[in-house]
Amino acid sequence: MTDATQSDTAFRPKPSLPPPANTVGAVGWLRKNLFGGPVDTILTVVSLYLVYLIVQFAIEYGIINAIWSADTYRECLDINRGEGACWAGIGVWFNSMMYGRYPDEEQWRVNLGGIILLLWLIPFWLPKITGKIQIGMSAVLTFPFLGAALFLGGEFGIFLHVMASVALTLFAAVWLHVATTYVFGRSLAELLVSATGFAGKDDRLHKYVLLGAFGVGFVLSLVYLGSWDLVEIPTTIWGGLFLTLVISGIGIASALPNGILLALGRRSKMPVIRVFCTAFIELFRSVPLITILFMAVTMMPLFLPVELNPPKLAMVIVAVCIFAAAYMAETVRGGLQAVNKGQYEAAQAMGLNFWKMMALIVMPQALKLMIPNIVGSFMGLMKDTTLVSIIGLYDILLMGKAAGQNPNWLGFHTEPLLFTAMFFFVLCFAMSKYSQHLERTIGGGYGRR
Amino acid sequence: MAVVDKAGPRKDARSFSEILNDERYRSVFYQVIVALAVIWTANYLITNTAENLQARGMSAGFGFLGSTAGFSIAWSIIDYEAGDTYFDVYLVGIANTLIVSFFAIIATTFFGFIVGVMRLSKNFLVSKLASAFVEVMRNVPLLLHILFWFTLSAALPSPRDKENQIALFDSVFLNNRGLYVPAPVPGEGFNIVVIMALIGIAAAYGVSVWAKKRQLDTGQKFPAFWTGVGLIIGLPLVAFVALGSPLSFDYPSLQGFNFQGGADVPRAFCALLFALVLYHTVFMAEAVRAGILSVSHGQTEASYSLGLKPSWTLRLVVIPQAMRAVVPPMISNWMNVVKNSSLAIAIGYPDLVAVFMQTSLNQSGHAIEIVAMVMLFYMTVSLTISAALNYYNKIVQIKER
Amino acid sequence: MKKVSLLALGAGFLASLAFTPEPVLAQESTLEIVKNRGILRCQVGTPAPGFYSLSDDGKWSGFDVENCRAISAAIFGDPDKIEYQSVTSAVRFTAMANGESDVLSRTTTWTLFRDTQLGLDFTTVNFYDGQGFMVSNDLGVSSAMELAGATVCVLTGTTTELNLTDYSRTNSLDMQPVVFEDSNVRDSTFFSGGCDAVTNDKSGLASIRAKAPDQSIFTILPETISKEPLGPVVRQNDSQWNDIVMWSVFAMVNAEELGISSSNIDEIKASSTNPEVKRMLGVEGDLNKGLGLEPEWAYNIIKMVGNYGENYEEYMGAKTVMNIPRPGSVNDLWTRGGLMYSPPFR
Repeated sequence: MTDATQSDTAFRPKPSLPPPANTVGAVGWLRKNLFGGPVDTILTVVSLYLVYLIVQFAIEYGIINAIWSADTYRECLDINRGEGACWAGIGVWFNSMMYGRYPDEEQWRVNLGGIILLLWLIPFWLPKITGKIQIGMSAVLTFPFLGAALFLGGEFGIFLHVMASVALTLFAAVWLHVATTYVFGRSLAELLVSATGFAGKDDRLHKYVLLGAFGVGFVLSLVYLGSWDLVEIPTTIWGGLFLTLVISGIGIASALPNGILLALGRRSKMPVIRVFCTAFIELFRSVPLITILFMAVTMMPLFLPVELNPPKLAMVIVAVCIFAAAYMAETVRGGLQAVNKGQYEAAQAMGLNFWKMMALIVMPQALKLMIPNIVGSFMGLMKDTTLVSIIGLYDILLMGKAAGQNPNWLGFHTEPLLFTAMFFFVLCFAMSKYSQHLERTIGGGYGRR
Repeated sequence: MAVVDKAGPRKDARSFSEILNDERYRSVFYQVIVALAVIWTANYLITNTAENLQARGMSAGFGFLGSTAGFSIAWSIIDYEAGDTYFDVYLVGIANTLIVSFFAIIATTFFGFIVGVMRLSKNFLVSKLASAFVEVMRNVPLLLHILFWFTLSAALPSPRDKENQIALFDSVFLNNRGLYVPAPVPGEGFNIVVIMALIGIAAAYGVSVWAKKRQLDTGQKFPAFWTGVGLIIGLPLVAFVALGSPLSFDYPSLQGFNFQGGADVPRAFCALLFALVLYHTVFMAEAVRAGILSVSHGQTEASYSLGLKPSWTLRLVVIPQAMRAVVPPMISNWMNVVKNSSLAIAIGYPDLVAVFMQTSLNQSGHAIEIVAMVMLFYMTVSLTISAALNYYNKIVQIKER
Repeated sequence: MKKVSLLALGAGFLASLAFTPEPVLAQESTLEIVKNRGILRCQVGTPAPGFYSLSDDGKWSGFDVENCRAISAAIFGDPDKIEYQSVTSAVRFTAMANGESDVLSRTTTWTLFRDTQLGLDFTTVNFYDGQGFMVSNDLGVSSAMELAGATVCVLTGTTTELNLTDYSRTNSLDMQPVVFEDSNVRDSTFFSGGCDAVTNDKSGLASIRAKAPDQSIFTILPETISKEPLGPVVRQNDSQWNDIVMWSVFAMVNAEELGISSSNIDEIKASSTNPEVKRMLGVEGDLNKGLGLEPEWAYNIIKMVGNYGENYEEYMGAKTVMNIPRPGSVNDLWTRGGLMYSPPFR
């Protein structure tokens, strides 16, 4: 342009030489990342050999020598002498490992429950939706009751009936909300208020509209649930992955609220509450889950009156909830300590009371900081759920063991273990990736890389 | 209408809520309620238990601890034989839990550092391999790890299979029964060697204190570390040679069905140790990685600009700061190792839960006492470790101005 | 917010209360409870081949399961009104004592201690078992007395573990137990040579062998080192319920002795002139009154579940994986030299 024409004598750098051929392209990448020096080269070679060994074994055991169709384990053994997997057995026992002894013709209830939960949580990932916290809370707090009513069936009692109706109403509300948001661009609440002509009136009146709408929905679902006529499926025949997910699901859902309460109790200024919460947390954090489970099945029957006699699953769930809450409490406490003291003081200066300060100022910051740890505890809990097999609940692991005791499948032992491991890997890996995603999107802005 | 009515009764409500919101009354009120609830629950449980025990003709109390247990234990590091009491079983269980946890903690810490550093390696394959290792190990339940490695270790050669025996110098053997190593048998005068070793340790400590003082006073350095190593190894070595090697070894050898002699650990121990180490190494590695990343690069640069050489920078600047972030998760990882060793029950390693809470509970039926004793042990260990952690945290805390 | 938090605290706990079944009233007899409930709660163990195993469609079957079915047939005239409770051996007696199970039918050895100090009563014996050893042929052992210093695989939490210790101490064999919680793990360990021998009730040894890739290389040693009388167990202090369970087993044994099977029972009922047959099948007399059952209770058992011999052949016989031939064994009828003996139906 104009500069270039000013003078031919001005300094003009020659174009850079291309980088040496061995520092770019595939060769460069290899040199830089794999063969940087003698030590690097040795490490690379050793690693490559390791990878080769693992892959070779996996292919031989899992594919080349594996048997894909057989009626008994003996058939598999006769063909491959145990040198390959007998995936045929997984096919035969797949249904059992998923649902336990839940009757085949009723398994749609489990599937339906799973679908409802998924649908309930989908709005979480939809960008336009408002009130995601409320949606999440409604799912966590009320879905267990709807699930219990659906999975249990039979005469489930007035309490469960009411709670399940609440859940159903909220579920319908969530999806109506999604629909109105996408169709009319307004939230369900706004739409209801304006449709009933309350839009111009005092804000305080709006909640009556919402309560009224909720009441109508509630009555409708109460009647609808009353029309249900499901066969009763006692908890003793629940099993497989379904049972694993029920136990860890309730544990996970209850962990955060209970953990927050315990953590607040431990930091409370009231000595009795502080001592009680500290003792509770320390007691249940310092013993292995397996002892708590043993306690639930061997000691609780002695602690409770004979007439009460709760089923084993209920006691195990309570044990898992207690354990999860104690762990979560320490995680939350870590988050609370990390929140700057100025935040507390500012909140108090604004005249917020204790619960408002916690809910609006402190907790959002503390929990954001702790997302990786919270998800880590959830994953830990999910993995620990396998321990219920030791005390005789038919989760996916024990169901796999039971398969190996069937006269036709005697010795069928390693394949269910591998199958179970694969399931947990997929579930937990997905959770950990999601937590990293969360950390990047909402946990940002706190000085983390 | 509701709007109009609201103004009226509000005043009374406020004065009432003022009392309710007075922190002194409110906190006392809450505390009394909590205390009452706890007392009521405890009373309820105790009454029920007494009734249930009576109805079933069962007895409560720790008297059973003195009676004969009547079963043998596969392996223990302290002496036990069938016919000893339930209390001996308790001690054996504790010893077995502690020994496996001890080795697991040492190995976990060591490998955790290695894998943690590997994940930060510039070598693409190494860092990816380390990441894959971390992801696979931590996303599979420990119980599955333990069962899997135990099943896999069955493929080791049997002790009678001479050709395929995995042996080291014909004295250390690994087979599907376990690991066999020579057992040291102290001869006469060996305790003098031990005493010399203790003196060496004391002397080394003295030298390091003196060297530090001298450096502070005069700025001159003294190779205290190498002197200490020399003292600790040299003194007992001299005594050992002077006394004519008062130590012999009992070598394991194949007799009858099995290796006899030497010291051995069962296969379940090896599998449990292996699984615990693999699983917990990952958490340790993540702690190390996070710790190293938490030291800002500016620290290193500042240290270089002060003229510290790289090894000093690492030792005096980076590691002390990284440790502040590494130690708390590391210690809670140690606690988890101790707790998770209880999964030994799945593969028959005789740890506390297996011999006491499973077998003894089954044979004696004293559920409450046994569960309480087991919990007491784990609580003691955990609280000791966390007390140590709190002490450490107090020392290394950033001193805020 | 506070209310929400309290709700959350309660959520886990309340969810569990929602599962609470109707209370068991201590005063009622077990028979009343079972009849009112309309379903029998029968406790079996975690699956063990032959005795109680689980099929891939979730059905229980096996020799001990037949006891449950017999009791259900006697009470309801339907052998499948049963809720099976599969619990680990560690909590089997607790589950009985607190009223969770009505009857326990799972390879449980009758011992003095268990009969007197756990609040339980053993009814009768439906299978006489005894502990034995299995070894690999290449060990070159033909008697358990040659197993000095051997490592032995054993399951924990059972009398098996204690018997092994007793036997080893009595004969100064210094055997090393290797204890397992899970029989699959025990067996794979044994097959790969992790133990020199495996010990179990002899009934189970053949089924362990059936899991091996090559079955021909293992031998069951002749010694029987213990007495293991196995049978159903009920709660103490309910003699009517005890009688029902005991005589349900006896009905199956007696039917075999009288030559009545599920296939010929209708014919015999119609044509038999034997007064004992008539009494047992409820054609004449009122033997059912004392038990509080319908007159056809024994007929229902035999018709729907079969006699002792039929069940034995189906689950334990030489054609099954258990492979325990019956003729001449202790589990044969007393008339053929065994111990199976039913008191008279009179």
